[in-house]
Amino acid sequence: MKAIRLPSKILKTLTKDRMHYPERLIVDTLSVVARFGVLIILYSYVFKINGGSINNTTFVTAAWSMFFYFSFMILGLRSISKYIMQDVKTGNVEVLFSKPISYMFYRFWWQIGLGLYSFIIITIVGGLSLYLAIGFPSTFTSSIFLFTVPFIFLGGVVLSLILYGIVGLLAFWIQDINPVFWIVDKAVMILGGSYLPVALFPLIMYKIALYSPFGASQFLTHSVYESWQVNWYELFSIQFFWIIILGFTLYLMFRGAKKKVSVNGG
Amino acid sequence: MEVNYLNFMKEIKFALYAIKKNLQNSAELKTSFLMNVFGMAINNTAFIIIWVFFVKTVGVINGWTAADIIGLLGFTTICFGIVLSVGDGLRRLPDLVSSGSFDRFLLSPKNLLVRIATSSFGSSAVGDMIFGAVCLIFYGILIQATLYQVLLIIFLIIIATIIFLSLVIIIHSTSFLFTDSDQVTLGIFNFFLTPSLFNGGAFHGLMRVFFMFIVPSLLVGTIPVEIVRDVSVSKLILIIILSVFWFWLSIKIFNKCVKKYESSNFMTFGQ
Repeated sequence: MKAIRLPSKILKTLTKDRMHYPERLIVDTLSVVARFGVLIILYSYVFKINGGSINNTTFVTAAWSMFFYFSFMILGLRSISKYIMQDVKTGNVEVLFSKPISYMFYRFWWQIGLGLYSFIIITIVGGLSLYLAIGFPSTFTSSIFLFTVPFIFLGGVVLSLILYGIVGLLAFWIQDINPVFWIVDKAVMILGGSYLPVALFPLIMYKIALYSPFGASQFLTHSVYESWQVNWYELFSIQFFWIIILGFTLYLMFRGAKKKVSVNGG
Repeated sequence: MEVNYLNFMKEIKFALYAIKKNLQNSAELKTSFLMNVFGMAINNTAFIIIWVFFVKTVGVINGWTAADIIGLLGFTTICFGIVLSVGDGLRRLPDLVSSGSFDRFLLSPKNLLVRIATSSFGSSAVGDMIFGAVCLIFYGILIQATLYQVLLIIFLIIIATIIFLSLVIIIHSTSFLFTDSDQVTLGIFNFFLTPSLFNGGAFHGLMRVFFMFIVPSLLVGTIPVEIVRDVSVSKLILIIILSVFWFWLSIKIFNKCVKKYESSNFMTFGQ
């Protein structure tokens, strides 16, 4: 019971906060409209002038793949890096270390809580709008898709938190993590299939997306394609592999970070 | 007339002095400054990779080649870099208003907008500026620009920067209208910026009209590239007229919004 008390309290409190102050929802909606909305119009035009199919991919499939990417981004998990950096710079980390809770788990749940409300609303409204506008790809009705999507989504959440958590912990050594954050973030953006859906990647880029942790954190975007029906277990294995490897790295870094903390008082 | 000119020169002198001091201040932390500059330049490369692969996969759209996309990113990032490095203070406006620190700017005898804009320096935006300049040089080489086109590029950097600055002023002026406005301004800013980084060939029909006249994202990168590529005089005249209009509008909106400010009466000594 104790183990779920902290997460449930954080999620409840932050969701209530977000409902009370809807500015964040406005920002996230504007962000999705600006990025995904414009992209959808762009791709509908591009597919139209290419005869309705590019690389054996239809517009409907490409649109849903990108929608999954932007919907996942609404969770805002990447901001965990900046929150950790802020904790380190302001000295808040000392206070949080002295509490009887795990700092990293606290940050993980806090990050999920911050984006959860916007994520649920925008995913439901956006998903419905997209369905009404262009329909579903045929893969959505397959049992493999329905069974695997929740798990690949959860894996993506865990891997993203670990990946960006590692970047955040670098603040214990280099203070300003922004340059590292930008590079990791853009690697996720390119290899995750944001502006260019994964099915349209050149072969070399597809391989990098498949075997790197940056692409693995966004395997959700692969689930809409026909190929998912046959290679889903391979992608699950790759994602699981990176969760173990980077999870262990995070653990080691966190142990090192605790030794780097200096209490300055005042 | 002469008094106005002298005042204007004084403001310019003050702005340059503030920029110089801010730059010296940022450069003091050399490693952090350089990491920010080069980190941002690498960060921007991501957009080139995406759009070049896009062109490779789906082909040329409405005459927009990979070279044009490099030009587009060059114009957009150089405007972003210029405005948000020397005028980084504008981005801090929501914080200044909500914390009540804006009071001290109101008491300054200098021009309010210049004083706010030059109150902070964005070192990472220098990376955007360098990246933009490199992209534009490459663009010039790739299209084998004539002397006239080179002069056009230089002139259009100025015009596009004025438009970008105007929009930054308008967007951040909304800080006076909302409580906790930092999130709202960020959302509106992204709404304006994102289409300016997209392949210009995809904007047609109503969408082109919307992003040219209502949210003028295309005026920052897409239209300048099309002017240089096609040497289009009609588009050049249009962008000059629109830049004057947006700048005039931004000053009007800023002055109107400032009147909405209510001092939070905090005991701050400025920072």
